[in-house]
Amino acid sequence: MKRFLALILALCMVFALCACGSNDDKKPADDDNKDNEPTAITNPDEISDEMTSADGKYEIAFVTDVGQLKDKSFNQGTYDGVKLYAANNDKSYKYYQPANGDKATDDDRYDAMKAAVDNGAKVVVCAGFLQENALRKAALEFTDVSFVFIDGYPVAEEAGVDGSPIIPNIAGISFQEEQSGYLAGYAAVMEGYTKLGFCGGGGGDNPACCRFGYGFVQGVDAAAAEKGVKAEVNYSWMYGGSFSASPELQTMAAGWYSNGTEVIFACGGSMFASVSAAASAADAKVIGVDTDQSFESDTVITSATKGLASSVQWALAKFYDGSFSDLGGNGTALGAKDDAVGLPTATWSLSNWSVDDYNALLKDIKDGKVSIDADWNNLKSTYNVTVNVIE
Amino acid sequence: MIFLIQQTLLYAVPLMIVALAGCFAERSGIINLALEGIMIFGAFIGVLFIRTMQTNETYLAAKAAGDWMTLQGLELLAMLAAAVMGAIFSLLLSFASINLRADQTIGGTALNLLAPALVLFFIRIIANQNTLQMATGDSASWFMLKKSTFGVDKSVEWGFFKELLLNKAYLATYVCILLFIILSIILYKTRFGLRLRSCGENPQAADSLGINVYKMRYAGTTISGALAGMGGFVYALTTANCSSNGDVAGFGFLALAVMIFGNWKPLNIAFASLLFGLFKCIASAYTSLDINGDGIYALAQLGISSHLYRMLPYIITLLVLAFTSKRSRAPKAEGIPYEKGQR
Repeated sequence: MKRFLALILALCMVFALCACGSNDDKKPADDDNKDNEPTAITNPDEISDEMTSADGKYEIAFVTDVGQLKDKSFNQGTYDGVKLYAANNDKSYKYYQPANGDKATDDDRYDAMKAAVDNGAKVVVCAGFLQENALRKAALEFTDVSFVFIDGYPVAEEAGVDGSPIIPNIAGISFQEEQSGYLAGYAAVMEGYTKLGFCGGGGGDNPACCRFGYGFVQGVDAAAAEKGVKAEVNYSWMYGGSFSASPELQTMAAGWYSNGTEVIFACGGSMFASVSAAASAADAKVIGVDTDQSFESDTVITSATKGLASSVQWALAKFYDGSFSDLGGNGTALGAKDDAVGLPTATWSLSNWSVDDYNALLKDIKDGKVSIDADWNNLKSTYNVTVNVIE
Repeated sequence: MIFLIQQTLLYAVPLMIVALAGCFAERSGIINLALEGIMIFGAFIGVLFIRTMQTNETYLAAKAAGDWMTLQGLELLAMLAAAVMGAIFSLLLSFASINLRADQTIGGTALNLLAPALVLFFIRIIANQNTLQMATGDSASWFMLKKSTFGVDKSVEWGFFKELLLNKAYLATYVCILLFIILSIILYKTRFGLRLRSCGENPQAADSLGINVYKMRYAGTTISGALAGMGGFVYALTTANCSSNGDVAGFGFLALAVMIFGNWKPLNIAFASLLFGLFKCIASAYTSLDINGDGIYALAQLGISSHLYRMLPYIITLLVLAFTSKRSRAPKAEGIPYEKGQR
């Protein structure tokens, strides 16, 4: 009996210790490239992730991509847009994570969307191109609900059938990530780095990551040609399939760094943690992705961002002022011309390349003077840049 | 070469210390299948400890001032915390299998199922996400020993051994190796060790000579829990960027395999975990391994699929177990609950 009591006591201690853990998860505000509206609340971290509405209905729903909600990258950036719009316009909002985490199936995603609609959602924001099949099913079933498909495209009623009608209540919003990646690659070489790396998520099937990677290589190539230097890029999709951090990824990145790689472009949500840990061990550098990740580690020189939060707010505003039909059934590709991609100049730590140079390059991209190819199948080594594809 | 040895150690040391943990429990007669669960729990406690302490003025000031001695102290304290809570967690197993005479395999499995769920539950409460990370910074910038830690510029060349031992290494690794040696000596060269082992071979005989079998088994399992908890934290610190997500990638089970492979003997265990760590390192970094320093990455040029490299550590384990398990000899009384009056 005495031992049993001791055991209970021990368990109590475990619980007490855990309860002491602090609950602060604050980090400085990351402003996306732009803030469309002059809003009252601009810091998404001041808005709670979970809200309780009076009637138990949640008008704006967010269905996450693989990876966790607080990935400090894609999911979080998208949800920040939902939270900002909802908080500033007094709307109720809620997020749904498809069951089974990284192994979520189309059914799991559909269930999450259905749960959202059952909870009174009028507009559902879905993040990630993996949601296509679930979206098709949900949008055809719930025709009076609008769906915003981030990193998406118009969805036809039947997959792979030519001439199949486009579903009108899905708005596909994609980004020209190749431009953002191009800027990051250009900046890195201009800063003086010549041995670079690219660790991509999604195993090479994720269009957004592929565009980021290919754009990055093109940027490196252009800058190397301009400076008259030879650059080298290690290009890999290994250990990125689930967009999560892993010891293997950390070892691989550490191996690159130990062989002289100076900067790695960590292109995929939580993968950042592994790459930045390896960079920190080697006193080397990292380029972040999607949102400004410079607050997470001193190793970040800049981040190839896309305006997730601002574009979500823009789409939601369209929905609420009744002009969703402009977007529904269409694909909207946001790029430099919409100020939706770029590098956060206020927080970068580049010293050999100025903000003015950056703005000049950005203007050239906007004006179409610099053309950046989006078809990643064209990835190859050039005179100035050697691409070592590691698979 | 230095890179290969260091990375191998990073993988091998947690495995080594946890396999020794299993060895202690089994030598006292308790099968500790819960190694994985205790590792997960220990990793969580250690990370939580560091996360909480990071908000403490003393440590923030130490980090800002580059006072690495204080930070290494924090690392050791976190290891201690993980060990203590791992030991407490393992009491659940001891209680069930020694006092209640429950089936040890089932008790261990229950802990393995309990730990990730419990840990994730707390992580959700504490951090509102699936991964518990450090409050600020990363493990390398806080705890790693490297040239910049000692105020030496990155470009300064050290000798081979200094480079190997003091650049990009964790103190935790050396503490674990030291503990491994000390505990192995205790197990084989002290009265306590002999008594503990006797309880795993023939508890009735031990009891007839006045050894309290229950106490010895409690001692074995508690030491085992402490080591496994610490090993879990060391794994999280050195290979997972000091984060906890209710998962240690099956290292607890691997440690069991390593223990059997090592035939319940510390020296063999050390060898087995080094072998496994080496292949694990090759699997992750084969594309950038340049063993003799001639700038040719031989393994990458063989043109073998990366999937094969990733299978290697496990295939090697299977192969070696297949060939050595014939000679393996488990402690005779392990898994059998001890009852005083029974013959």
